[in-house]
Amino acid sequence: MKLLRTFILPRIVQYLIVIFVGITLTFLIPRLSPINPVDNALGRLTAFQTMSPEATVALRESLMDLYGLNGNLLQQYFSFWKRVVAFDLGPSFTVFPTPVTKLIGSSIGWTIGLLSLSIVIAWILGLILGTLAGFFPNSWWARTMENSLIVVYPIPYYIVAFVLLMLLTYYLPIFPLVGGSKGAPGFTWSYLSSLVYYGFLPALSLIIGGVAFRFIISKALTSTERSSDYVRFAEMAALPKHKILFSYLIRNTLLPQVTDLGLSLGLIFEGALITEAVYGYPGIGSLLLSAINSADYNVIMGITLLSIFGIATASLLVDLSYPLIDPRVRYS
Amino acid sequence: MHKKLLAFLAVSILTALVWAQPSGLPVDVPREELFVADQIYRYSNPGDYNLWMGGQTPHRHALMMETLWYRDQETGERLMGAAVSDPEYNDDFTTMTVHLRDNLLWSDGVPFSADDLVYTVQKINDTDGLTGSGGWKAQLNQYMDSVEKIDDTTVVFNLKESNPRFHSLFETRWNGVYMMPKHVIENIDDLATNILENPVVLGAYKPIQFDPTGYWELYERRDDWENTPAGIITGNPGPKYVMTIFYGDSAKKAIAMSRGELDVYFDADYEAFQTTLDTTPTARSWYTEFPWAYPNEVSTRQLVFNQESADGLYANKDVRWALALAINIVELQTDYIGGVAKVTPMPVPPTASLTKLYLDPMEDWLQGLQIDLGNGEMYTPYDPTIPEQIASWAEGQGYTVPGEPRDVFGTGWWKYDPEAAEKLLVNNGFSRGGDGKWLKPDGTAWKIQIISPPDENDAFRMANAAADMWSEFGIDVDLQGPERSVVDQNRWVGQFEVSTPWYSFVQASGDSWPESRGWHPQYYIPNGEDFRSKGGTNEARINDPKIGEFIDAMASVDPSSPENIQITQDFLKYFTEEMYFITTISFKKFVTWDERYWTGFPTSENPDYMPLYWFHGGKFAFQSLKPAQ
Repeated sequence: MKLLRTFILPRIVQYLIVIFVGITLTFLIPRLSPINPVDNALGRLTAFQTMSPEATVALRESLMDLYGLNGNLLQQYFSFWKRVVAFDLGPSFTVFPTPVTKLIGSSIGWTIGLLSLSIVIAWILGLILGTLAGFFPNSWWARTMENSLIVVYPIPYYIVAFVLLMLLTYYLPIFPLVGGSKGAPGFTWSYLSSLVYYGFLPALSLIIGGVAFRFIISKALTSTERSSDYVRFAEMAALPKHKILFSYLIRNTLLPQVTDLGLSLGLIFEGALITEAVYGYPGIGSLLLSAINSADYNVIMGITLLSIFGIATASLLVDLSYPLIDPRVRYS
Repeated sequence: MHKKLLAFLAVSILTALVWAQPSGLPVDVPREELFVADQIYRYSNPGDYNLWMGGQTPHRHALMMETLWYRDQETGERLMGAAVSDPEYNDDFTTMTVHLRDNLLWSDGVPFSADDLVYTVQKINDTDGLTGSGGWKAQLNQYMDSVEKIDDTTVVFNLKESNPRFHSLFETRWNGVYMMPKHVIENIDDLATNILENPVVLGAYKPIQFDPTGYWELYERRDDWENTPAGIITGNPGPKYVMTIFYGDSAKKAIAMSRGELDVYFDADYEAFQTTLDTTPTARSWYTEFPWAYPNEVSTRQLVFNQESADGLYANKDVRWALALAINIVELQTDYIGGVAKVTPMPVPPTASLTKLYLDPMEDWLQGLQIDLGNGEMYTPYDPTIPEQIASWAEGQGYTVPGEPRDVFGTGWWKYDPEAAEKLLVNNGFSRGGDGKWLKPDGTAWKIQIISPPDENDAFRMANAAADMWSEFGIDVDLQGPERSVVDQNRWVGQFEVSTPWYSFVQASGDSWPESRGWHPQYYIPNGEDFRSKGGTNEARINDPKIGEFIDAMASVDPSSPENIQITQDFLKYFTEEMYFITTISFKKFVTWDERYWTGFPTSENPDYMPLYWFHGGKFAFQSLKPAQ
């Protein structure tokens, strides 16, 4: 009961406040942008079509009405909240009247699939390799890995991504240039295998950087823990190395790593814009970029809301899971 | 042992998954039957073929949709679409009669008839929420009183007032009113929300597959392609399949073409095009050799002054002329544009047909034009030798010029004469400071702000050239290149001094009124408000009654009459003399295509149709294709 009152409830209240403030800012920020969705739509429609001035004025009025942009800011704000509560994010302005939920729905699966797998694979690989390298610091393979990954880590992601693209699509044309799959979706071998084929290169680019980062952190944490008294005592007690490593050492290095994993997974909802752009991979990042460029308020708000929920919920879950991982929190 | 075996199996399965996939295109159709075209952007509404509702039309309308007439941007000729003859007006232009082809079929086999045209017009007119047709709806409401079927192939439009240009709604530049299959659409409850996933089309190609994430679409040629306008006009079946695919930036398009996974793309920058030539020996553009690019899209690029910015500095004609004379057009066209676009001093692109109508007849006037440098000193600013100077540069680079310099590089332009520019400025109270930089008449430093979108290649390069040349002339220049949407928004509300939009003051037909009417002073909006608030196109904030007189005069005459051309020439002379904006070059497009699998695409040797395949009239380019082997 005390845990609920002093630990869980304050975090839930904080979570709700974060979401309220986030949603309000999400409403206001696009409206501070110099770009106006009606102007933008009008610009698109009149870019090539010569239109009489009277028709242009009539079209503008009609678009204001269709997009629900009539009324003052406060009226728009209240109607926005009504929609949020009803999980209705409204129509996209760019591809009116396609619902924002449909656009996000068709992108989010790709982003979750690519990023969650890449993040988890990179996290596991980095954690294991880094811990092993920290536990056996003088072995040749640990030194080789460390030297290699320290070189890779500082290279900006977009350079790694572009080098991989050139290498594996142009010089060795093995992987496809764009897209997330081949042919029509379905539970067929051809389609499912194409998901792996099309996702391999973008995932590889993310995993390389992710492993390097996690390796360095894990190795540093392990090196610190390795000189702790409890590890020395365990060694003096002649416990097997694998028991020291997996039962004692990793458990103690895991806490900050789990926090970081949780937050990384929360960030998935922001998408991976550079990955999507370089590899032409579908996802939420490029949807957000095009929405910003065309002032598609509803899409921007939809993705941002998702991101706020994702990050806030991930933080909350990480917070709430501390008592399970760390007995010190539970007992305090 | 078990663990090792499991790990081995997992790695083997993953490897098999990856290596079992051939590199290549995302569809399973024979490559020799497939034409792959660059989709100019990624569709955000895949599977949505209701083009009346949405706005994502490129390529889709060329392959699927029909209208009454197509105005080819290359030849300037009118091509018959669903109509079989030119529009017929009565004497006072209050009715327009259309005669339709009697041999067109919808893709479900139902004949196309006058009922479809009447239904289309009425449906667009009566339906709210068809944003893709919003412009047509507003203009139909404005101009049309009623539409009636006379017989199966004849329709009469009764107009609210005299209008000799009503047909332009059904004649493409970019697109024209898309015909609706009455027998299909009338059974749909709400056209404004239906995506028409399996559309019945009048064009020669029908969509059969699409990527749910919007990267590509696959179309199949109709078996009865001979009952479509493009099939009838070209007499050629075209490829059995057409796929449009979005690869992203120029570098990826170049890679795709080198892999044989792209047959045509739009629009590379100069460097990416050179890379394509290096990596794909069978690639080419409009010309097989220098200057390669297609130079005849009907638009021009200019440096436009906001006359109400900088305390009205650019409302002074002498200042505008001084800035024009401080630009070295040969250097701009060669060093910045690579020598691959045509020069023009007026917002009239030097295409073959428009050169005959405007630039050739006005050449003597241009050569005789004089401006006053001050104190009565008259000056002849036009230099007719510009094309020859560019040709000399090209030969110096080792290129062969494929024709007469004026045909290849455009017309003459203004002399590069900083001394004359200096005289103009000094006579208007400008002076140079101790550091040689120009000071405005009020004694403060002169700083010009230019905005230009970096993704619009030639516009941004032109802006860079102007910035460099004006800086060299002694003016501080602040060149800004934010995202295009930000540039546009700033242009609309007048937050700029110099911008780099595209215009053409004449259409491919030679008619100017539809393009210039938005500059009529009745639509003028002062700086600070959106210049389109009354529907105008006057971002320069020019408020000149004389322009209104020219536009009114054009409106009252038959667009195809010699009188209309004469009024337009007089208008262009006035506009040029005032140097309201500095037009530099016309549009060029590196429409790059690979002859590995297909031939017959429009080229300089085969200029029957425009190569702008993403336009509505691009259908003729697709339909003209023939297998390479």
